[in-house]
Amino acid sequence: MLPILQIGPLAIPTYPLALLIAFWTALEVAGWAARRAGLDGDHLYNAGLFGVLALIAAGRLAHVIAFWPAYRLQPAEIVGLNPQAFLWGPGAIAGLLVAAWYVQRHRLPWPAVADAAAMAALVGLIIVQAGALLAGADLGAATDLPWAVTLWGVRRHPVPVYTALAATLALAATWWAARRSLRRGTAAAVALFGWGITVWLIEPFRAESATILGGLRLMQVIGWAAALSALWLLRRRTAEE
Amino acid sequence: MSRQIWNLLFGAMLIVGAAWIWLGRVPADGSAAPTGLPPAPAVGHPAPDFTLTTVTGETFTLAALREKPVVLNFWATWCPPCRAELPELQAAHERYAGEVIIVGVNQAEAAAAVATFARQVGLSFLLPLDAQHHVSQKYAVRSLPTTFFIDRDGIIRRIQIGPLTEATLAQALKTIFP
Repeated sequence: MLPILQIGPLAIPTYPLALLIAFWTALEVAGWAARRAGLDGDHLYNAGLFGVLALIAAGRLAHVIAFWPAYRLQPAEIVGLNPQAFLWGPGAIAGLLVAAWYVQRHRLPWPAVADAAAMAALVGLIIVQAGALLAGADLGAATDLPWAVTLWGVRRHPVPVYTALAATLALAATWWAARRSLRRGTAAAVALFGWGITVWLIEPFRAESATILGGLRLMQVIGWAAALSALWLLRRRTAEE
Repeated sequence: MSRQIWNLLFGAMLIVGAAWIWLGRVPADGSAAPTGLPPAPAVGHPAPDFTLTTVTGETFTLAALREKPVVLNFWATWCPPCRAELPELQAAHERYAGEVIIVGVNQAEAAAAVATFARQVGLSFLLPLDAQHHVSQKYAVRSLPTTFFIDRDGIIRRIQIGPLTEATLAQALKTIFP
């Protein structure tokens, strides 16, 4: 476990560093994949960048609204640099909406954009898992399997490793679909299927999960629904071809 | 692939998927939740216990505060962000008197200096003195201020590295005092 990278007097938290690397790498991959599909790669880069800026702005705005009594007394904090003062859920929705608005405004073909974005998202997911493993985040359930990792004194399933491996397989399948020059959007459907299967398969090995309906793991249900939706999309595309 | 194969694949995913979700569910008694975890400075783990002497000379033991949510803050007088957030902690101490316990673990400073500073700033919450850095090592504190939010059962629910503002403190308190 290496939660902090100590370089001389500089202490760099590895998980946020991995998030940053994942974001920039994903933007680069999106641009590259877009150019490969005959699009202007800068558009994908810009859509991602505007999306993140919207995420940050809306995340802070939501925090200000949610905790207005506190901000009313300290208005300077509205533009403060505190990295904890964000609500990421509303921020993510705003980020996606702004990125979608950019794609729509520049009349980019949605299926091709989805193909490029899907590949970028999978690459980002793999890098984030490396950060999670280093930081000891995403705790796995206790196990005695030979490949268990010891985190905080307990031998556990290495959930980030499972996720990274499954995402790598999903990325390989997505890449294969993109290279086969199938109809635009097919690679994105393959990626969605891969992500869905990954989440559906791995979630029970986590130490903690959000649950619904008396104990069903929420992310597992979402992964299952994503995989089924992707299968349906792939079936339709194959039929059309 | 033919339509039949797609339908077969879809059906298999539907059935196998539902079965795996059912097998992986968290039992209603919560027995799949992490139990018996050792104390560690990580979210979900019991907060490591410690005993220190406070600035007023009393003995302070964290475990004695069980049943009460605790905000465990690591600070020092020489740390500007710590000084910036102390009024927020004092305000929370007054607002949640008796309901949430605020504890400010001072890092290796002389008791007299801490007492003078506390008087000047008007701090009235518990101020244990971590003279040998034993507790900060136990909590893997790498930078000041760092704050642990511990629920009534002694479980760490949130760790904040860096200064708290009134807003972030209010947000973090929701994890231990909804």
